[in-house]
Amino acid sequence: MNDRTENLLLALPGILLLGLAFFLPIAQMLLLSISGPDGPTLSHFVRFLSDPYYLNILWRTVRLSLLITLICALIGFPLAYIMTKVGPKLRLWLVVMVILPLMTSVVVRTFGWMVLLSRSGLIPEMLRDMGLVGRTFALMQTETAIVIGMVQVLLPFMALSILGVLTRIDGRLEEAARTMGCSFLATIRTVVLPLALPGIVAGSLLCFTLSASSFVTPNLLGGTRIQVLAASIYKSVTATPDWPFAAAQAVILFAGILLVLAPYIKLTGTKHG
Amino acid sequence: MANVRLTNIRKSFNKTEVLHGISLDIASGEFISLLGASGCGKTTLLRMVAGLETVSAGNVEIDNRDVTELPPEQRDIAMMFQSYALLPHLSVAENVRFPLRMRGIGNRDEQQEKVKAALETVQLGHLGERKPRQLSGGQQQRVALARAIVSTPKVLLLDEPLSNLDARLREDMQVELIEIHQRLKLTTIFVTHDQEEALSLSDRIVLLNAGKIEQQGTPDEIYNQPATGFASNFIGSANLVPAEIIDGANGPVAKFADGQLLSLDAQEKTRGAATIALRQEDLTLSAKGSGPKARVRTRVFLGARNRYVMTLAGHPLRALTANDLEFADGQDVVLSIDPARIRVIRD
Repeated sequence: MNDRTENLLLALPGILLLGLAFFLPIAQMLLLSISGPDGPTLSHFVRFLSDPYYLNILWRTVRLSLLITLICALIGFPLAYIMTKVGPKLRLWLVVMVILPLMTSVVVRTFGWMVLLSRSGLIPEMLRDMGLVGRTFALMQTETAIVIGMVQVLLPFMALSILGVLTRIDGRLEEAARTMGCSFLATIRTVVLPLALPGIVAGSLLCFTLSASSFVTPNLLGGTRIQVLAASIYKSVTATPDWPFAAAQAVILFAGILLVLAPYIKLTGTKHG
Repeated sequence: MANVRLTNIRKSFNKTEVLHGISLDIASGEFISLLGASGCGKTTLLRMVAGLETVSAGNVEIDNRDVTELPPEQRDIAMMFQSYALLPHLSVAENVRFPLRMRGIGNRDEQQEKVKAALETVQLGHLGERKPRQLSGGQQQRVALARAIVSTPKVLLLDEPLSNLDARLREDMQVELIEIHQRLKLTTIFVTHDQEEALSLSDRIVLLNAGKIEQQGTPDEIYNQPATGFASNFIGSANLVPAEIIDGANGPVAKFADGQLLSLDAQEKTRGAATIALRQEDLTLSAKGSGPKARVRTRVFLGARNRYVMTLAGHPLRALTANDLEFADGQDVVLSIDPARIRVIRD
C-alpha cells in the first residue's frame, strides 16, 4: 500500500461524512430547484428573477449584508487593535464582552432588542425626549433595526478574526514606522492595516455569509414588511408551501454568496502566494 | 548631522528605577557605543533618544533642540532594530523608500534615485524587487541599514544590529559600518553587549552598569585604563583577584590570600586591600621558574589559542596562550606577567 492510498483511506471517514452531511443535501436542493410537474424546468428561477418583489428582497439581503459587514469591520478593527495593546487581563474581559452575545439564545437576544427599539422602547423614547427625532420616529421594523441586531451578533466573528492576525504582527514594525516619520495614524494605515488584511478578509467572509443567510434576527426585528431572502424561503416552505420555489431561492442565495466571496478568496490567495 | 545631549535621564518601570540619572554629550558626527551587559539600561536609553520610551526625568536634546516631549516621527532620527523590523508587505526598494515617502523628502524620481544609491552602498542594488522574507539574514540586515541611512537622519540609532549574524558576516558588517560612518559622518549611537564590536567601531565608548555610566572614553582608554573592577572585567574580560599590596624588597608586591607574591610596577602607589586585574592575554604560563603558581583546572581548545582555566588563591583565573602549550589538568603552572600590564583597583 503506497502513501497515496493510505492517505485516501485515512481521509475516507471524513470524506464520507462531508458527502452525506454536506454535498448530498446541496445536490438534493439543486435537483429540487429544477423539478417541475413535467420534468426538469427553470421556471422557478424565471419566476424569481422576473418578479421585482423578489428581486427587491435579493437586493436588500445583499445590501444589508454588505452594510453589516462594513460596520463590523469599522468597529472590529479598532476594537481588536485596542485588545492587542492592553494587558492580558483587560484583553480577556474585552473578549468576554465581545462574545457575550453569542452565549445567549438568538430569540432572547432579539427580544431584548425589540424591547429597546420598539415605539415606546428605551432608545426611541430617549431620542424623542432629547428632541433629536420627530413624533413618528420608529426603529422597530426598519432596516436599521436589522443592522443593529446583526452587528451585535456578528461583531465577535470580525473582532476575533482580526485579533488573531494582529497578535502575530511584530510590535517592532510599528515602532520602526514611527522612527521613519509615520504618525500614529499613518502607522496604522501603512503598516497595521495592510498586515491585518488577511484577518479583515476572513472576518468579512464570516460576517457576510452569516448575515446573508440569517433568518431569526432580521425576521423579528424587520417584521414581515421588510423581508430578507432567508425569510422569503421560510415563507415559501411554510405558507404556500412551494418546495421547488423555496429550493430555487436557496440556490440563488447560495450562488449570490459564492459570487461575492470569489474575489475575496482570490484576494487572500494572492496575499499568501 | 547633529549633536545629542542627554541631561540627567532617569527611567522607572513600575517604581523600579532602571536608569539613575545619565548625562551624556555626543558631538556632531561622533560614533558612540553604549556598552553593557543585558539589563543595564542601554537599550532603554537608546529608545529614549528615539522617542519610543518616555523619560521619567531629564532632558533629551537633538541638534540643540529639546525633543523630550516630541514623538519619534518628529525627531528626524533613524533606528536600526535587532530584529531588522523590515515591513514584510513591502518590497526591499519600497522598504528603503519608506522613510523618504513618509517624511516627504524629494519627489518620486529623487526618492528612487536615493533608494538606488542606498541599496548600492550596501551592495544590494540587484535585489530591490524582492520581498524581505526572500532574503537571507545578512541581506535583511543590509536592507535595514540602507533604510536607516537613506534619509540622512540627524542621528542614527543602532540597537544591537549585528547580534543576529554569524561571525563572518558580523566582521563584514563592522567594516561596512565604519566605512559608511566615515563617508556620511552621521552622529551614531550604537548599542551593544559585545566589547569587541564597541572597541573596533566607536570613537567613544560609554560603559553602562546597572543604570549608571561606569566609565567613558576612547576605546584605547577604556581598554588600557579601566577605571573600575567592573570595567576591567567587562572589557577584555580580565581576571579579578583580591590581594593586599605591600612593600616588598624590590618595590610594591601583591600578596594573595594564600601568601603568594606578584611583583607590581614600581610606580604603583596603592597600598593595602585592592583588586588585581590580570588580562587573559597578558598572562604567560610556564612549567618551571619563579612566580606565583596556579593549578590548572581545565583547558579549552579555541583553535588558534588555548584557554586555561586555573585556580589562584581560591579564585578562578583564565589565560589565553598559544595553542601548542600543553599542561595537564591538576598541574601547577608558574604565572608571569609584565608588571606594567597589571592594573590595581583600590577596593
